[in-house]
Amino acid sequence: MSNIGYGGKEIVERILEPKEAAQKIKGPGMRAVPIGSQMANEVINIAYGWFTPLEGFMGKADVDSVCKKMRLANGVVWSIPIVFDISAGEISDYGIREKGSVLLTYDNNPMAIFEVEEIFDYDRKEMCQAIYGTTDEKHPGCARTYKYKDKFIGGKITLVSRPKINPPFEEYFIPPLEMRKRFKEKGWVRVVAHQTRNVPHTGHEWLMKGAWFQTYGELPIEKPLVGVLVNAIIGEKRKGDYIDEAIILTQDELRKAGYFGDHNHMTSLTFWDMRYAGPKEAVFHAMLRTNLGLTHHMYGRDHAGVGTYYGTYDAHYLLESIKNELSIASVYSMDWLYCPHCGEVASEGLCNHRKEWQKFSGTLIRSIVDDGVKPPRLIFRPEVFDLVMECAEKYGFGSPFVTDEYLKKRTPVFTIPPLSA
Amino acid sequence: MTEEKYPINIWVNEERYEKIRSAGLADLCEEMLAGLKVIRAYANDAQKDKILSLFPTAKFDSATTKSIELLPREVKDKIFDLIVEKKKVDVMEEFLKQQG
Repeated sequence: MSNIGYGGKEIVERILEPKEAAQKIKGPGMRAVPIGSQMANEVINIAYGWFTPLEGFMGKADVDSVCKKMRLANGVVWSIPIVFDISAGEISDYGIREKGSVLLTYDNNPMAIFEVEEIFDYDRKEMCQAIYGTTDEKHPGCARTYKYKDKFIGGKITLVSRPKINPPFEEYFIPPLEMRKRFKEKGWVRVVAHQTRNVPHTGHEWLMKGAWFQTYGELPIEKPLVGVLVNAIIGEKRKGDYIDEAIILTQDELRKAGYFGDHNHMTSLTFWDMRYAGPKEAVFHAMLRTNLGLTHHMYGRDHAGVGTYYGTYDAHYLLESIKNELSIASVYSMDWLYCPHCGEVASEGLCNHRKEWQKFSGTLIRSIVDDGVKPPRLIFRPEVFDLVMECAEKYGFGSPFVTDEYLKKRTPVFTIPPLSA
Repeated sequence: MTEEKYPINIWVNEERYEKIRSAGLADLCEEMLAGLKVIRAYANDAQKDKILSLFPTAKFDSATTKSIELLPREVKDKIFDLIVEKKKVDVMEEFLKQQG
């Protein structure tokens, strides 16, 4: 049975079986090109179909079209360029040439074959303005773009070795084809995505619960037909962020501790380095989750934004403008807050004790945890708090937040094993 | 026109509350979040900018709470000690002087 992904294209895993992989990489003149973890994340995404309809890194026509029209060259909406950057020196050193193939290696092990179709230049400042709406180097997406090396390579990617996902992340790595299978097994006919890079406070929990209600709509209630998929973004870490282990395990703890259940909640991860592109990234998240088989996607205020670069609801406006071209429905949400009068977490759209509202955010909760204070259970579930502290001991070298020590000593989320055949 | 003031939330656990109570400052505590107590030191615009440049992990939560968050714990401990010592929450000038 076909699995149609984003852009109307069937999702196909571009992964070779070990024997075939071993034969392929022995081909004459196959030079090894080492890549880092950021690029390895994207290689995995391409190969497993997270980035369908892409089969590889973008060529110049696609990059140009994405920047100028928010579309691939074939007209399909696409909002963030997926590029492989490299220096001219490396191109020369590795003997990379158009129409040739190279072997991408990660941690000295063969990872993927890269069929080099095109080597090109692109104006990075122009790219920043187009994607982020600014050329300010303080914007983290621009900063990342300015760090790109001076050449880009476009071409198809095929994985020669499946990544080994390390504990505690194994059970949360669920690629698109497998994810779609699981949804069928659960009997979910609608699934709404919760994008996160945070440990959950009750505001997040109610965001999910609200989205679940919105998504359920007119469906019959006799059996569970709707699920919430927490899709945690696991990628580049900055000092002070929650550690990845705490993010993924605490999200799942909401299900394990009974605030949700197997019948309506699931946690998974996607490898992606946040670009903080606000509206453009919201569109990108819609495409990613379409490929995972989701039918709905929730968006709160300032989705994937940073600082004051975007308006509070700019992502909503952009999504609305292209909604007929996306095959995933947007679920918009207002803020959740604590109302002492109601004695519970309430939505801005429901509660009218406006003068009494106590607003909170992920940053505020982090600040409380930083101070060594346990947040009240109405704001932060005790099971989640205890698990955050457990993660600090077990994975974070004493801290639930990213430190230099964590960055240096953590177990990587995945490794690429040596070829077995 | 009143100058804008930006709070630094110092969350009050039992240990901090005992110090506050002993100093006769229990009234300075406010209930801020579902019963959780806080003492707030306030920074003006210039002090806010100075704090954010001195402590790069700190963040101004412009979207939700309009407060300065994520100062390192030892920094907040110093501000807290100053509040107890001076018996007031308007201590940012002294605090910044101490930072040089």
